[in-house]
Amino acid sequence: MKNQEEFQPKGTVAILVVFVITLIVLWGTIYLTLLQRGGTV
Amino acid sequence: MTAQTYSLSPKEKSFVSWHLLVAMVALALGTLFGPLQAFEHAGLNLYPFLQPLIKSYYQGLTLHGVLNALVWTTFFITGFLTFNVIYGLKRPLRYPTLNQVGFWLMIVGLVMAAIPILLNKASVLYTFYPPMKAHWAYYVGLTLVVVGSWVEGYGFYFTYAAWRKENPGERTPFIAFASVLTMVLWQIATLGVAVEMLTMLIPWSLGLIETVDPQLARTYFWFTGHPLVYFWLLPAYISWYAMLPKQVGGKMFSDSLARLAFWLFLLLSVPLGFHHQYVDPGVPAGWKFVHAVLTFSVFFPSLLTAFTVIASLEYGARKNGGTGLFRWVLALPWRDPSVAAQLLAGLLFFFGGIGGLANAAYNVNLELHNTTFVPGHFHLTVATGVTLTFMGVSYWLVPYLTGKKLWKPDLARWQAWLWFIGMIIFSNAMHVLGILGAPRRTPLGDAPYVPAEWNSRLLQVGIGGGILFISAILYFAVMIGTAFSKVKVEKEVEVPVAEALQPVSQTPAWLDRWAPWVYAALALIVIAYGPQLYEQIRNISLTSPGFRVW
Amino acid sequence: MSTTSLHVHPYEKRWIIFSIVLLIVFTAAVAIAAFALGIQVPSPEQRVDPRTVAVDPNSPWSNPGLREIAPGRYEAYILAQTWQFQPREIRVPVGSRVTFYVTSKDVQHTFKIQDTNINVQVVPGQVSKLTVTFKKPGTYPFICSEYCGVGHAGMFGQIIVTP
Repeated sequence: MKNQEEFQPKGTVAILVVFVITLIVLWGTIYLTLLQRGGTV
Repeated sequence: MTAQTYSLSPKEKSFVSWHLLVAMVALALGTLFGPLQAFEHAGLNLYPFLQPLIKSYYQGLTLHGVLNALVWTTFFITGFLTFNVIYGLKRPLRYPTLNQVGFWLMIVGLVMAAIPILLNKASVLYTFYPPMKAHWAYYVGLTLVVVGSWVEGYGFYFTYAAWRKENPGERTPFIAFASVLTMVLWQIATLGVAVEMLTMLIPWSLGLIETVDPQLARTYFWFTGHPLVYFWLLPAYISWYAMLPKQVGGKMFSDSLARLAFWLFLLLSVPLGFHHQYVDPGVPAGWKFVHAVLTFSVFFPSLLTAFTVIASLEYGARKNGGTGLFRWVLALPWRDPSVAAQLLAGLLFFFGGIGGLANAAYNVNLELHNTTFVPGHFHLTVATGVTLTFMGVSYWLVPYLTGKKLWKPDLARWQAWLWFIGMIIFSNAMHVLGILGAPRRTPLGDAPYVPAEWNSRLLQVGIGGGILFISAILYFAVMIGTAFSKVKVEKEVEVPVAEALQPVSQTPAWLDRWAPWVYAALALIVIAYGPQLYEQIRNISLTSPGFRVW
Repeated sequence: MSTTSLHVHPYEKRWIIFSIVLLIVFTAAVAIAAFALGIQVPSPEQRVDPRTVAVDPNSPWSNPGLREIAPGRYEAYILAQTWQFQPREIRVPVGSRVTFYVTSKDVQHTFKIQDTNINVQVVPGQVSKLTVTFKKPGTYPFICSEYCGVGHAGMFGQIIVTP
């Protein structure tokens, strides 16, 4: 593992995939609650 | 590498230590009130027992916010940055007296602000929204703390300029670069609150003017209020980028991208303050949307940071024999309390980011504004991502500065885990309550409109707060134990500064040039804030006299 | 290697592109909710003088309350002060569309109606305006969620939506 090219950070990608899924689920839940509570104009 | 041979002089060590000492005393006092708030939510109000010393929930909440969010952070950060500048540049401060003057200004300011708070003459919380009017000493004191930090910053700039002269053509060492940048960001950011203080709050509280414009004051305040959180966060990022990888036996995955992320923070963290004013009546929706887009864009350097930092950790873990897609995480040195604290801080910071992205999302803020979601969020960011990281840093920095061995590292490790667990319970409940509509900054145990369905979550707030309190006690026990320990370190503690995978000399020169970035940052501020500031100042309505409502 | 080019690992390059796309998607979701579904944040409405807004006979907040401007269409003038809203109770039939005009005669407050998206900062000197249609009968508490002094926790009222 002398330099960057030889080191493939697969674990990093795996963790970030989990993070992005969590992000979309949690953010999406809050967003859907917003839609359900209706308009303001 | 000469990295191991350079050391701070005893005088410099003591100067940095004083910063940390003041920071920790502030945290110790401020943290006392955290569980009082949390217990109150759970139905156990201990404030009556503090009479007549502490007169109300809000005096306690003001102490909690000011001491933890403003004093602990500012003093720890100026101390840590001072250390980074000296150690990173491997040269003493150019004008140490200047830095000392700055530090003493901060102390004078702190004492000035503390007296009215303790006398219940400034229970206006750390956002001090007018027309609530505190004692003038509160405003002048807080201003002096900021001015003092500026003066310390000027000390950094002179030191850095001297280094540039002595080392032409060399790349600035990362920790020094990032520390100077953090200070530049802070000095640009605090212009807003400086104007608020000097043109409104100070003359008003002294009786020189009768009335203020609360809407314009909010705009000034939030010019500073959001980049303020980057002033807290970037020192933690410095540790995650450049120190933590060394502590886990790895290297910085990319020096260039680390610098790019810091430049993007300088560029983007100021011109987005309206995202704290989404539901303000006095700011047009169109400008709020512009700031919403800019707010999303400042999320980008944090996503970049996530990749670079995790990859740096993975590099270290795999060198230590870590395998698998996820299992390598276990190969990180979790037994080192400094590492454990910072990894757990980073893990919860992920969730802080998610909540932040919800707060920041324009109309989604209608759901969350001034609910417990907001303190739930910033207890994951500033109170964990930042604070638990600083605690982790202190687990090596204090032994380095004092020459004493860390007292009971096992307790320190417990401290980190308890903070993590307590914060999950506390913060999760706060987020859920916020979505249900529970207001922040409210003694909910006392509020007549609280529905029964909130009760179980309110209880969790109390339980989480209790666990956090135990963790805080452990932290101060370890710090005091270390300071008074008779066990010296065998040889000077090694400062963890990671090498980069690619030699730093290959970092592009444009990532080490200041003028274009600073000008671009200022230009972006003028574009994003100029028209509204012009409009709001032109239409200023000085119609609000002051109120004392506590 | 040239000293001007930025070296980025291919994985990280993909992550950068993905991050940007992700943020664009979130921005789009927010824009749709705002501009297509009418979930909007407030804009400047009018200025008032907080010192006289509650007493000036020309000010609607000298007589706060509900006005019917058309069948099923209402305006509600709400005065926020330490530590109460005026009026404290509003009754409207289900399906009513109510525009709220909220201002303060003293310090800042927040006007938040539970189970709706009405949540505005109330700043003395300014008028906060938002509109909501009450589609379900029931009791909707409205609360102050900005610290406004020692009595803040007791500052609330309710909207009763009758079937």
